[in-house]
Amino acid sequence: MEKYVQQREVWDRMADAFQPTESQTSVEPLADRSGGAGVDTQLAPPPAQSAPINLVGRREALQHMTQNVLAGLTLALWSSQPREAQAAASRLETLELPELPPPQPGEDVLMRMMRDLQRALEKPMEQRRWIMVIDLRKCVGCHACTIACVAENALPPGVLYRPVMEEEVGTYPHVARRFLPRPCLQCANPPCVPVCPVHATWKGADGIVVIDYDACIGCRYCITACPYGARSFDFGEYHSDNAPHRAEYDMVASPEYGQLRGRQGRQSPVGNARKCHFCKHRIEKGMLPQCVTTCIGRATFFGDANDSANLVSELIASPNVMRLKEELGTEPSAYYLI
Amino acid sequence: MEYNLTSDEVTHQSGAWRTDANTIAPHLTTQRPRWMQTLFYGSLAVLSIIGLIALGVRMVEGLKVTTLTSPMGWGMWVAFYIYFIGLSAGSFLLSTLIYVFGMEQYEKAGRMALLSALFALVAGMLFVWIDLGHPWRFWYVFTRWNYTSVLAWEVIAYGFYITVLASELWLLMRCDLADLALRTTGWRRWFYRVVSLGFRCPQQQSEYQYCHTQSMRRVKTLGIIGVPVAIIVHGGTGSIFAVVLAKPYWYTGLFPIIFLVSALASGAALMTFLYGFFGRKDEEHFAITRGLANLMLLFIGIDLILIAAELLVGLYGNIPEHLEVYHALLFGQFRYTFWIGQMLVGILIPILLVTLPRMRHNPFWLGLGGLSAVIGIVAVRFNLVVPAYIVPMLPGLDHVINQPRWAYSYFPSFWEWASSIGGVALVVLPFSIMFRLLPLFHEIGEQFKDDEDDGGTADTIPVVPEQSRVIGQQFKQDVGGATNV
Repeated sequence: MEKYVQQREVWDRMADAFQPTESQTSVEPLADRSGGAGVDTQLAPPPAQSAPINLVGRREALQHMTQNVLAGLTLALWSSQPREAQAAASRLETLELPELPPPQPGEDVLMRMMRDLQRALEKPMEQRRWIMVIDLRKCVGCHACTIACVAENALPPGVLYRPVMEEEVGTYPHVARRFLPRPCLQCANPPCVPVCPVHATWKGADGIVVIDYDACIGCRYCITACPYGARSFDFGEYHSDNAPHRAEYDMVASPEYGQLRGRQGRQSPVGNARKCHFCKHRIEKGMLPQCVTTCIGRATFFGDANDSANLVSELIASPNVMRLKEELGTEPSAYYLI
Repeated sequence: MEYNLTSDEVTHQSGAWRTDANTIAPHLTTQRPRWMQTLFYGSLAVLSIIGLIALGVRMVEGLKVTTLTSPMGWGMWVAFYIYFIGLSAGSFLLSTLIYVFGMEQYEKAGRMALLSALFALVAGMLFVWIDLGHPWRFWYVFTRWNYTSVLAWEVIAYGFYITVLASELWLLMRCDLADLALRTTGWRRWFYRVVSLGFRCPQQQSEYQYCHTQSMRRVKTLGIIGVPVAIIVHGGTGSIFAVVLAKPYWYTGLFPIIFLVSALASGAALMTFLYGFFGRKDEEHFAITRGLANLMLLFIGIDLILIAAELLVGLYGNIPEHLEVYHALLFGQFRYTFWIGQMLVGILIPILLVTLPRMRHNPFWLGLGGLSAVIGIVAVRFNLVVPAYIVPMLPGLDHVINQPRWAYSYFPSFWEWASSIGGVALVVLPFSIMFRLLPLFHEIGEQFKDDEDDGGTADTIPVVPEQSRVIGQQFKQDVGGATNV
């Protein structure tokens, strides 16, 4: 448990301490990062990008990491509960969450989820337990969530955080198709976490299994160990590899984990394992994950399972709820309504 | 002093010493023809250069030079990695038969076993290093070591293991290295002085005997420590796969055992090949080679039993995820590596070459059988790693997208072949050079063995070099006062 506390502290310090550094290259952020995803654009505050945010070079990242690990260790040894709450509270005060309108009949379910999200963000991180609920009766197999996730995280070819699997059932004349979107299931007993030789991946206090891109050595043991195939490897390819010149969309920085990382050369995240992280960079800012926002059938729900008033807490109490490969004992945090 | 060589060999030896004081391989009584040596070292050098270029390309371009995919993350390099770790552990465990369990009849092959174990481990670590997505971050395993990861345990174990190996080899060879440092000139002298770490062998017979006994005792201690370390090393390598519950093909308690038995088989095969072709050609040569070949047969037999158990039990049921892998192995995309690579080259040909009446008495065929097994077990390792990946983790996951890096099929790319073959050459080349340079088959203690016959004159290391130096002789003498090794 101490390890989780330490890592959480490190995580908080990293999120807080992220600052532009005078490193080698800088990447211009796109003007509109939300990508026109409907509801969120109007309600969410624009990302604070007044200054051009630079790539964190490897040396700087390592220095930050070492300092933060030392700081985190110090904090873990000497901090007490009130101080952590203070730190969390002070962090929340800097978050300017928009005022959401009160509940109205016939409103979009995203409004309810955003209210739930804001309520969850008021709690310290270790009291949240993020889960996702996917209603398979509503999924029409449009694959918009897959594409939106690729766009949000600037994923290279061959890396899919949330593929949608199609299955044809029955024989003519009684044939049907069913669809199963599969994000990372953020297991409570993740088989991918114990196998990492450098402890580059761990389950955060809020339930999201995160990857430290600066620690991953690319051994692909975690990818091998995931029983759901939820992890992918970044081979360093670009969508415009066979095009006459490198396209701009290939050079977009990925905002994962609150860091802006371009994909240049062999720097992380090239050569890393990558996976869905429930859009941690978005939920920390009060925005729902991109797949939730994009789903045209409103089939994906997201929220805090520790909050009994939350929509997802109601949903997982349905009799038609199931999880994938329950017999493996992984305790996934993504539930399916069938 | 007695010689155990034929008169021809003695003449050849003394001639060799006299005409070329820098000839350092007198144990090979048949010198290979010049053209054969040139061909051998030349082709190794060419392959090594190709390997260096391929490694350079791999380092610059990253893992996209491979045909690995996200679902099939481990391929040829991992197969070679576990192969060489297995070869190393197998060779080492066979050497412990000599130094720990007292099978002195194989003594002459002991140092050779340790040397090949050392180089095989280096090769294994090379292959696992180039397989990383960030090879230059490998040292994170020490700074961020995760005690729940078998892979992290393995890296620590390799450190212990290589220490044990190097120490044991040095202890066994230090007297001979010191002696050779005195006898040679030029770069060889410098080399022997470095490798012997400045050790000076005692000149008096009693002191030498004491030193020798001490060394052998330490070797035995290291061997005793080394047995569990080697089992952890390669049983752990098997456990890397066995603990992955996502892959039912691996998720069995049988897997670490299969790895260990394959390791012993490949180690025995390598010993048979090396000793059959390059060992000391004396009257014990055939006996030793035959013994090593019998060991190889034994371990191949046990391996066959384990494969049969795994296949028959697995094919009996109907679980699709299990069946799909076995079908792919036996009848599907891996049938060539299974039937030809594993069964034919790795099992059937070695068994035939070692047991057929025409061939079983010829060390050449025994050595060839060993070589066949050595090559075939590469296919065994490949068949242990790659087939587990062809089953999609969830049905339909393989049809989500039509993209090369999402594919559920794997055939190594050109750069993988080049870097693998080149990497093997990069290790075999210094191994061959060390094989010739290091005193693997000789020991200076020979001149002390007939102490009684000389009427008690103090024996020092004679300057005249026509002394036969044969390992194992001193064990046959009861040198007064020395404790039994």
